[in-house]
Amino acid sequence: MAVPDRRLSRRRFAILGTQVVAGAVTITLAVPIVGFLISPLFRRERVVEREVGNVADVTGPDPQKFIVTFPQNAWPVPDVPVAVYVVRVGQGYKVLSNVCSHMQCPVRWQPDLGQFLCPCHGGLYDRTGLNIGGPPPKPLPEFVHRIDGNGVLFIQNRFTEQI
Amino acid sequence: MISELRGWASSAYNWMDERASVRSLLRKGLYEAVPVRGAWFYTLGSATLVLILLQLVTGIFLTLLYVPSVTEAWQSLNYVRQHDAFGSIVRGIHLWSAYVLLFVIGLHMVRTFFSGSYKRPRELNWVTGVGLFVLVLAMAITGAFLPWDQAAYWTAVVVTNIASYTPIIGSFLRALWRGGDTMGPVTLVRTFGIHVWLLPAILFPLIGAHLALLRKHGEFGSYVNYRGAYRAREGVETPPAPTQRRIEPPYPAVPTDELWAAPLETEDFYPYQTFKDGLVSVVLVAVVFLLAVTIGAPLEEAANPATTSYTPVPEWFYLPLDELLVLVPQQLIPLVLVLPAGGVALLLLLPFIDRDAERNPFERPAVMIPGAFAVLFVVILTLLGSGRLFNL
Repeated sequence: MAVPDRRLSRRRFAILGTQVVAGAVTITLAVPIVGFLISPLFRRERVVEREVGNVADVTGPDPQKFIVTFPQNAWPVPDVPVAVYVVRVGQGYKVLSNVCSHMQCPVRWQPDLGQFLCPCHGGLYDRTGLNIGGPPPKPLPEFVHRIDGNGVLFIQNRFTEQI
Repeated sequence: MISELRGWASSAYNWMDERASVRSLLRKGLYEAVPVRGAWFYTLGSATLVLILLQLVTGIFLTLLYVPSVTEAWQSLNYVRQHDAFGSIVRGIHLWSAYVLLFVIGLHMVRTFFSGSYKRPRELNWVTGVGLFVLVLAMAITGAFLPWDQAAYWTAVVVTNIASYTPIIGSFLRALWRGGDTMGPVTLVRTFGIHVWLLPAILFPLIGAHLALLRKHGEFGSYVNYRGAYRAREGVETPPAPTQRRIEPPYPAVPTDELWAAPLETEDFYPYQTFKDGLVSVVLVAVVFLLAVTIGAPLEEAANPATTSYTPVPEWFYLPLDELLVLVPQQLIPLVLVLPAGGVALLLLLPFIDRDAERNPFERPAVMIPGAFAVLFVVILTLLGSGRLFNL
């Protein structure tokens, strides 16, 4: 009975070697593709600061709406407008985004209700942005802000908490 | 003259046949045996195909006028609306055939479920079909982003945000789709790429597999085509001999085993079934065309992220999910992902759960009753949603 030759022949080696190289090339090609796909996850958003207005204009208990423009992510396109609600809380101010914490729909202040209402799924927030009804899981996001000595309010395009 | 032309045509045909076997391909495509009873229900599959091809054609032409950029997408479509009547019709056909397609593919699925056609040996026909259904829904929802008007923008915001409720990787998924934590230029470009390249690149090969499997196993049709076969097994009555098939029977010549049973009566796919298929498709395409010309595709104001007056209204096919978003309390929001994902998983597993040979819908209560409840659930969500949004 002949003992099978288990040594790697030159032909077999060439075939196996080619397959291994082809596999390595495929994986190498996948690296830049996957890398560019997930690149937004690692990009740092450009933080800018914009003037909102003077807090002396926020009179009365109702939140007051301002429009601020912020840059969009990635390449330069015209800045987009964003709605900002400024509300007096005690001696200070809260600067609320109108992005609903549920599905990010555009929340609006309803003076007749005295509440913020989300038009999509009926979320309700009180005047300080606390979620008080409907599906929203969190209060309205707050912009990072500062007020200078003259009472001028500035906000950054980021929130105090990740949304 | 005529005979000369005919002779020329026939020699051209023979030339092609020698090189590309067109004759056997045509015969294979056209002379499939199809069960006779219930043949109008089988037109739903071909109507789905026709509508998808209409999507492909109009979609290709739409790329000749649409600019996938946040600054120009709405501008390009607004230009078409104001200055290009035919372009508006093309856009209208793309929209309305998508709406009709979603309806028809749903009916096709319900029909297949009802008649038990997903059973051995057609499990993979069903599995590829579920895949196609999901892909068509994904096409519909990504397509809805592209006009970048108010409706499109807020649909995009909500839909990409739903992804963020995926356990653990949620915010990564949302950032991957949006191209960042917030909406932006990358969101639209990525969704455009997904809509016109990624999804169709999966969709069309899957259609090929779905059709190849259909041709391999033949139409199952409905259990009514097999009544004699069942009774013959029980020794009640001898069934009449099945109609002889012309080529490559996927059915056995004699109806012996009900798993692989041959229908008692068949007719040729061409011209009998193609007549019915053609008639249904012509009517549907005509309806689509009329809707495209009379109603057309709407274009709202350009996207405005700072609005505090716009009320987003979801696309009708997405209403059940939107109503779920209203009903699910804040602690259970991931349910809006789990329920649809679980539904799709159950659909994919259906032929492997329900392995009994019985095809009569009235003899399969364990499958039909949960199925009916699932359909009812979706219908009720849709009704609740439309009642909420349109004060019906």
